[in-house]
Amino acid sequence: MNQWAFVVGAYALTFFATGLISALSWRAMRVSEGRARQVADRS
Amino acid sequence: MHRFANPARFLQIARPLTGWLFWSGLLLLLIGSGCGLFLTPADYLQGDTVRILYIHVPAAWLGMAGWSGIAIAALMQLVWRHPLAAVAGRAIAVPGALFTAICLLTGSIWGRPTWGTWWEWDGRMTSMLVLFFLYLGYIALAHASARQGSGGVSPVAAIFGLVGAVNIPIINRSVVWWNSLHQGPSITLRGSSIDTTLLWPLGLTLLGFTLLFGGIVLMRMRAILAHNKIEARMQRLARG
Amino acid sequence: MKAKHQRLILVIVALAALIGAGLLAASALKDEAAYFYAPNDVRTKGVEPGKAIRLGGMVVKGSIKRASDGVTIHFDVTDGKATVPASFKGITPDLFREGSGVVAEGAFDKSGIFQATNLLAKHDERYMPRELQGMKYDEKTHKMKADR
Repeated sequence: MNQWAFVVGAYALTFFATGLISALSWRAMRVSEGRARQVADRS
Repeated sequence: MHRFANPARFLQIARPLTGWLFWSGLLLLLIGSGCGLFLTPADYLQGDTVRILYIHVPAAWLGMAGWSGIAIAALMQLVWRHPLAAVAGRAIAVPGALFTAICLLTGSIWGRPTWGTWWEWDGRMTSMLVLFFLYLGYIALAHASARQGSGGVSPVAAIFGLVGAVNIPIINRSVVWWNSLHQGPSITLRGSSIDTTLLWPLGLTLLGFTLLFGGIVLMRMRAILAHNKIEARMQRLARG
Repeated sequence: MKAKHQRLILVIVALAALIGAGLLAASALKDEAAYFYAPNDVRTKGVEPGKAIRLGGMVVKGSIKRASDGVTIHFDVTDGKATVPASFKGITPDLFREGSGVVAEGAFDKSGIFQATNLLAKHDERYMPRELQGMKYDEKTHKMKADR
């Protein structure tokens, strides 16, 4: 059994999931804060 | 404590801190992973699969630390009515659940070549799976309270967060109390039974993942706070 | 007393009761939640032949013997207090070796030999590079030292 296949699989999974949650959280923050600014400017 | 209860003052600190935490955490964990993959020697028994340690342990730590954070936030919410605590609890939930899942999955991938099985119902694995389900329950409760219009979690969700904290010491002690397939704790107060040549990248990835987690939580808190602001403004406009 | 303090005391009392109940339940489960029987558990509690259990412990050094058919192996499992003979037919996991941990699934036959149908390798909490293999682990200092 090739040990590196398991190692690479585990790292790939971790980095993919970490990247995904980072990107989603970043985008949610940018969108919400942008809209909050817009709403504040309008009134 | 109440000095930071004011969202405006919190944001003053959180805005610059978010990027710093996130990028320094990412840098550290990439360096740590690189060292753990290419610089450290293979284990005498397991060979190269031991390298999964450098991501499996931080993921386990974050899964458990995340729930501890939820429990502390719940305590502050219930006792001191701290307005940011409810927001913090909700912000921790999803990344905490994700890292618990990463811990379970990397553990499974590690178990196949070392133990000869993907999954066994031993004390450590079962209690960690219970933690994952607790997260799912908490997320559902937090989601329901958010739909009712409050920015944070409801008192019911906070109580759930406190009660679920019982599982954290059980996970920690599971390999000591019960015969388990998972090995006992390597790093104790008395020292480490992981040789230093293998141990040092773990410090980097542990710190890196923790800082990154902090950055993600701050992002999510800022998103919730901004969302609250919009809701409040909309309600005021609707009333005229 | 301020309402804040009342809430604090209420939460602490409730939490203490909950954690106490949780830990009590966990320790009551001590036997049921055990993932495997150690050889000493087998000796003190007794396991009737044919009952499917897991047996866990260390493979005694020098005990692995291959039968003449080439696929069946015999070995002894110990926990330091008791030793149990076991046999297994099939391919063993990579980490199954003498002096290392094992969890065997199977049942005892009438002659008291554990007939394993599946073997899992269990490793301990020590991690070290190959260069240090064969060196002794010092429980007190948590350092490796040369075997003399």
